[in-house]
Amino acid sequence: MRTTRSLAPMRAAVWTIVAANVALLAWVVITSLKTTRDVFDHPWRLPIPPTLDNYLTALEVGNFGRAAVNSVIVGLVSSVLAVVIAAPAAYALSRTMNRAGRPLTLLFALGTGVPTQVILLPIFLMLSSLELTSTLTGLTLAYIGTAMPFTVFLLTGFFRSLPGELEEAAALDGAGAWTTFLRVVLPVARPGLVTVFVLQLIVSWNETMLALVLMQETERETLPVALIGFAQQQQYTGTNWGGMFAGICVVVLPMIALFAWVGRRVTDGLTLGMGK
Amino acid sequence: MISRSRQRAFVPMVAPAFAFLLTFVLGPALYAVWISLQETAGYGEARFVGLRNYVRLVGDPIFHQALLNTLKLLVIAGGATFLIGFALTMVLREMRGRLIARNVLFFPNIVSALVPAIVAGFLFNPDGLVNTILRGVFGVEDPPKWLSVDNTFALIMIVAIWAAVGYYTTIIMAAVDRIPRYFYEDCALMGANAWQRMRHVTIPLSWDVFSVCALLWTISSIKVFELVLVFGGGTAGMPPNKTWTVALYSYAATYGGSGSPPELGMTAASALFSLLIAALIVLLLRRALDREAIQF
Repeated sequence: MRTTRSLAPMRAAVWTIVAANVALLAWVVITSLKTTRDVFDHPWRLPIPPTLDNYLTALEVGNFGRAAVNSVIVGLVSSVLAVVIAAPAAYALSRTMNRAGRPLTLLFALGTGVPTQVILLPIFLMLSSLELTSTLTGLTLAYIGTAMPFTVFLLTGFFRSLPGELEEAAALDGAGAWTTFLRVVLPVARPGLVTVFVLQLIVSWNETMLALVLMQETERETLPVALIGFAQQQQYTGTNWGGMFAGICVVVLPMIALFAWVGRRVTDGLTLGMGK
Repeated sequence: MISRSRQRAFVPMVAPAFAFLLTFVLGPALYAVWISLQETAGYGEARFVGLRNYVRLVGDPIFHQALLNTLKLLVIAGGATFLIGFALTMVLREMRGRLIARNVLFFPNIVSALVPAIVAGFLFNPDGLVNTILRGVFGVEDPPKWLSVDNTFALIMIVAIWAAVGYYTTIIMAAVDRIPRYFYEDCALMGANAWQRMRHVTIPLSWDVFSVCALLWTISSIKVFELVLVFGGGTAGMPPNKTWTVALYSYAATYGGSGSPPELGMTAASALFSLLIAALIVLLLRRALDREAIQF
């Protein structure tokens, strides 16, 4: 095309960065299959034969198994419930059904700007008075709550982009708002709902600050907390980099797999709430 | 008929989400204001101290450093991320395999920031992989001390840029893709060069998304936390003050665990103070970037 020639070196640069990213990821996975000695002595050698010892270390010493189970439970439950709770609200707000609509939409949007460190202590104090700290229920509730601004905001934009004709037709047939929403709108809205679910799953999987403060029992910790714990433990015993890389893989690979599977939904989702 | 049913459904549809918003975001944010006016360790009695926590922040060099670091992230790393994202968009849009390339650039975004922070410790420690290569392959006698306190924050910014660039490229790309082809065909007819195309078509027609990017970056830069917390492999306590961001300062005031009692009031005050500064920056940015949207 027009600028093809002048961009050739730039294109080479882009592919170099892309290749470096892939190489970095591959190197992390390969390193996780090496003995700790080989990690240092032969950083470039392929692990032949590959060893799964590091993963055993990560599971036994680093508590990554328990943490992975907790992360899966909290991530899935909170993301599903966040979408289930946010979807009707976003729909109602997108079809501004009364005068309260605009200020409410604004409140949800404002909520996206509140950083975790502001609400960290109040949430901790509240959950601790309900004896819900260090419980999966407490963390799940906190994730649903903190997901609201973002999920409602994205879904409101998404519902706005859907044409209203189907709903009008349903209304002419005598369907009420709930019936219309459940039977007519939701089936059409599935791609948007899945996108928001996946984005929320990624956010909760990687969330660190709340998990660190709320989950102070090893039995209840999620993956980011386990990873930090393992890293700190190594300070005293000398870093077991093999185990560390295995732990990193436990944190990273599920997200990479998810992204490989539904990546388009994720990247499309970034522009869902932006109108147009 | 349609409207009456909708009116009746409005409250039950919105109420659960709004209840969660109130309980876990807006309510806690207001309660944080109350905590910020107290001196309390979370146990024992709390003392109302008015604005004293805020006064302490204004005079605390550690908070100044944290604020400065956050502003560096906001301005320097943010500017770099945006420029690289824009440049990538320009290159990617006329490239074969653009979606694959973009998705690979995006992947750091879905990885916990703890991971690059820990891996950096492995790569950049004095006997790490980078220095091994520098010594072995390039014969560098005295490779830089990457993880010395003075260099750490620069590395942190580079990692932050690496992690964010794919995200912003994706957003900018979506905006640029919406610009109809015929504008560029007109440019070609009039003999406009690449720079003129960018200056008169691409930038004005994707302007509203640029301001969205600025807003998103401002919000996310005051949240940068776990990247700094464990950068370089994780220390048992807190990382050195020199690398703190405002999020780290807020966390450390209560959970720093360096023998001093937790200061919940300082956590709340510093978090609100930095939120206030971010809000001011957002307002200024909106002013500066506000142009009438061009319809096309």
